[in-house]
Amino acid sequence: MSADAPDVRLEKARKTFGAVVAVDDIDLAIGRGTIFSLLGPSGCGKTTTLRLIAGFEQPTSGEVFIRGRRVTDVPPYKRDFSMVFQSYALFPHLSVADNVAFGLRMRRVGRADRAAAVKEALALVKLDGFADRFPRQLSGGQQQRVALARAIVVKPAVLLLDEPLGALDKMLREEMQVELRELQQRLGITAVFVTHDQEEALTLSDRVAVMRDGVIEQEGAPRAIYEKPLTEFVAGFLGASNFFDGRIAARDGAAAVVETKGGAVRVAHAAGAVGDQVRLAVRPERVRLLRPGSEGIVAQVRDIVYRGSVTHYYLDGAGGAILAYSQNASPGASAWAVGDAVACAWDAESGVVVTPDRRP
Amino acid sequence: MRWGAWIRGLATALAFAVILCPILVVVLAAFSPTDYFVFPPPSLSLRWFAEFFRLDNMRNAFLLSLELALSSACIAATLGTFAALHLARRKGWVAAVLQALFLAPLVFPTIILGLALLLLYKSVGMPPLPGLILAHCVVGMPYCFRTVLGSVQSLDPALEEAGQSLGAGPLRTLFLVTLPLVWPGVLSGWLFAFIVSFGELNTALFLTGPGVTTLPIEIFSYLQFQGSQLVIAAASTLQIALIILMVAGIERVVGLGRIIRSR
Amino acid sequence: MRRTLWAAALLGPPLAVSLVLFVGPLVYLFHVSLHEASQSELYGPGPTLANYAAILADPFYLTIIKRTLGTAAWILGLALLVGYPVAYFVALLPPRRRALVTLALLFPLMVSNVVRAYGWVAILGRRGVINTSLRDLGVIDAPLDLLFNQEAVVVGLLTILLPYMVISIANTLAALDRRYEEAAQALGAGPLRTFLHVTLPLSTPGVASGLLLVFLLTLSAYVTITLLGGPRSKLLVSLIFDSVVSFQWPLAAALAFTLLAIALALTGLILLVLRPQRVQGRG
Ligand SMILES: Nc1ncnc2c1ncn2[C@@H]1O[C@H](COP(=O)(O)OP(=O)(O)OP(=O)(O)O)[C@@H](O)[C@H]1O
Ligand SMILES: [Mg+2]
Repeated sequence: MSADAPDVRLEKARKTFGAVVAVDDIDLAIGRGTIFSLLGPSGCGKTTTLRLIAGFEQPTSGEVFIRGRRVTDVPPYKRDFSMVFQSYALFPHLSVADNVAFGLRMRRVGRADRAAAVKEALALVKLDGFADRFPRQLSGGQQQRVALARAIVVKPAVLLLDEPLGALDKMLREEMQVELRELQQRLGITAVFVTHDQEEALTLSDRVAVMRDGVIEQEGAPRAIYEKPLTEFVAGFLGASNFFDGRIAARDGAAAVVETKGGAVRVAHAAGAVGDQVRLAVRPERVRLLRPGSEGIVAQVRDIVYRGSVTHYYLDGAGGAILAYSQNASPGASAWAVGDAVACAWDAESGVVVTPDRRP
Repeated sequence: MRWGAWIRGLATALAFAVILCPILVVVLAAFSPTDYFVFPPPSLSLRWFAEFFRLDNMRNAFLLSLELALSSACIAATLGTFAALHLARRKGWVAAVLQALFLAPLVFPTIILGLALLLLYKSVGMPPLPGLILAHCVVGMPYCFRTVLGSVQSLDPALEEAGQSLGAGPLRTLFLVTLPLVWPGVLSGWLFAFIVSFGELNTALFLTGPGVTTLPIEIFSYLQFQGSQLVIAAASTLQIALIILMVAGIERVVGLGRIIRSR
Repeated sequence: MRRTLWAAALLGPPLAVSLVLFVGPLVYLFHVSLHEASQSELYGPGPTLANYAAILADPFYLTIIKRTLGTAAWILGLALLVGYPVAYFVALLPPRRRALVTLALLFPLMVSNVVRAYGWVAILGRRGVINTSLRDLGVIDAPLDLLFNQEAVVVGLLTILLPYMVISIANTLAALDRRYEEAAQALGAGPLRTFLHVTLPLSTPGVASGLLLVFLLTLSAYVTITLLGGPRSKLLVSLIFDSVVSFQWPLAAALAFTLLAIALALTGLILLVLRPQRVQGRG
């Protein structure tokens, strides 16, 4: 088994509950030492995927591997993983130290080694001195750290986290994201992280899989997912996107010119022949507003919202609404006023051809 | 854990067998045509029910039990509802003490309560029937208190405040807002008070007297002094039938789930 | 002003009933227990601890107290042993089926104990189902004496009180977050150790309340004990009744408070050993 063999592998894994297909023939390979995020809207099958890896659910069909070992029929307690639950599931009848020691006890680690490991794990999550407290005597953030310590102290092959930060407020959540990332890097653990918060997924992960209706729509590094979405759904789910429908008017190698209602735009990469219908996705922060008459899509400013570091422009174009973000790089009033006519332009690299949504 | 599931299934079957068997045997025996119960009975007859109604003692005890259960349950439901309405939204140690006081008869050894009431009644010269009614009222009140308390506490306090904000005084808020919403709780509390009174033995043991005897005590003394005759099976079966009737009636009005929860 | 009047109107009647018919009589009973017996009155001169001293000095009473505790121990042990797996079974049922099974457990509790005890008499008695069946099968000639011994009392009370145990534990188990068990499994605990280290400790509130209910009801189950145990298997509660029948009011009162002391002591012991409160509060 080579060092870069995947730590977790799903092969055509499928899980149905009655008529509901929660996970639909997923293939997945998660490399050693990476944080892998499962991102998607509520009910898309993230938790179920995680529970298939854990063994709390048996796949209807397909296989599960952990560290190259086939574990499809292996019960959870014989699989090499540990888990942080959304509600933490700290044992209320055990102290913090006993909670953290639980996994070691189950692995029959001796008393002295156990105490040392617990102390170390609590230090890692900055909870030295809390060993004798009970879960109900801790704040939400502290409980979260205990859950984390309890999971990492057993040095699992894989750490599974199901929306572990969901119950924390925004400030604490962002702080924990950074700490979690640091800790994972330091320990070199492979982690599978479930979230429906796209920012969290981008901040935290080495790789992100965007799920929808039990299917992985796209998998890749955060930057690739964000900048090169393959589908309209992915482009819309991660951050905001403008969509333009058009027709390929001309081709030049990989590049093309797309004719939209509001005007022609250049696209750096486009498949398809001249005359094909395509849908373009453009991030609002990539849209530049130019004087009318410049090259670009013609639009009119409908509304301006000042957001501190950026200003949001809501524009009406010929093909529909357009959203543009402009960095407030220098002091002073906005360059545009409501009612102004503008031209919207962007780099050829910024317009991405996406598969239109299956649904209307 | 396959054997774990086996143990659980086996234990459940065994438990239900030993819990229900005695009751089934009693009901079966009540329909015996013979002088003594033979199993299986050769045929079925209503002879022992006829005998039951022929015996003045039995018939009177049955009627007295009915009267006692009805009146004590009504008083208990009223008082329990009062207490619950008062305490539902109160906090602090006074409320905690009062709540403990109102719930205490639930776990307090009733035989001691019976003896204490007997001594009290003796020293003030209380006649037997009102004494019994009051005793069963004390025993039944915690059931009503508990169910109504649960009902009121699960009620959104904003509803009552809304009533008051619309100009209804406390009394009108009670009748127009609170009671219509918690009456299923009151009714199931009443049902439990009725059932408990109808089968109660420990206070009745001390407080019944000649001519004023409840059905359970009549069954008990018959068993003790006349031996195990099948008229007792008929009396017991009537007891069970009445309970089933009551539960079924209340179930139609408030639903099964509420009866189970209010236990 | 209106508010306090209103509050007093609600609290007054139930509080009066509680004080006059529950607390008051108990205080009076205690008062009586501190007096000597009298031929004509309810109680004679006092105060004196003579009644309590007599109980504690008399080997007869001590034997009965020991027997009471022994019988209760058997009932509690068996109720826990049988009740826990049943409760587990009930707790794992889907909600609708669980409601039905709970009703099937509640129904026997509604039937008067004298009826249920009579059911056992009809089964175990000399002309009971077992004896007549065995005789008809030709296994025995003379009826077996299955009634009027401690075993009959234990079996009868056990079956009468078992539903309390089952319902208490099942309620706790059904409300238990399944994630605790999953968390234990995720940390490498197999089914047995998950049960021992997580499920069992987390169900102690139900176990404690089941044990307490069964114990307290055992202590005052005079009718069941008399019908199934007969004159030779008397327990403490039988002595209370006997002294009432012989008009020894102060002695009866002192016995009642001895019973209450035992009840309180064991309640304290059960709570101390099981410490159900440590499970409360979520983690
Ligand atoms: N035990 C179950 N029984 C029946 N259906 C289930 C079960 N668990 C999940 N499902 C269904 O499977 C689908 C996927 O559920 P899952 O919990 O995996 O979603 P999720 O992506 O984790 O959603 P969320 O973000 O809301 O947690 C849903 O439609 C859900 O209703
Ligand atoms: Mg989920």
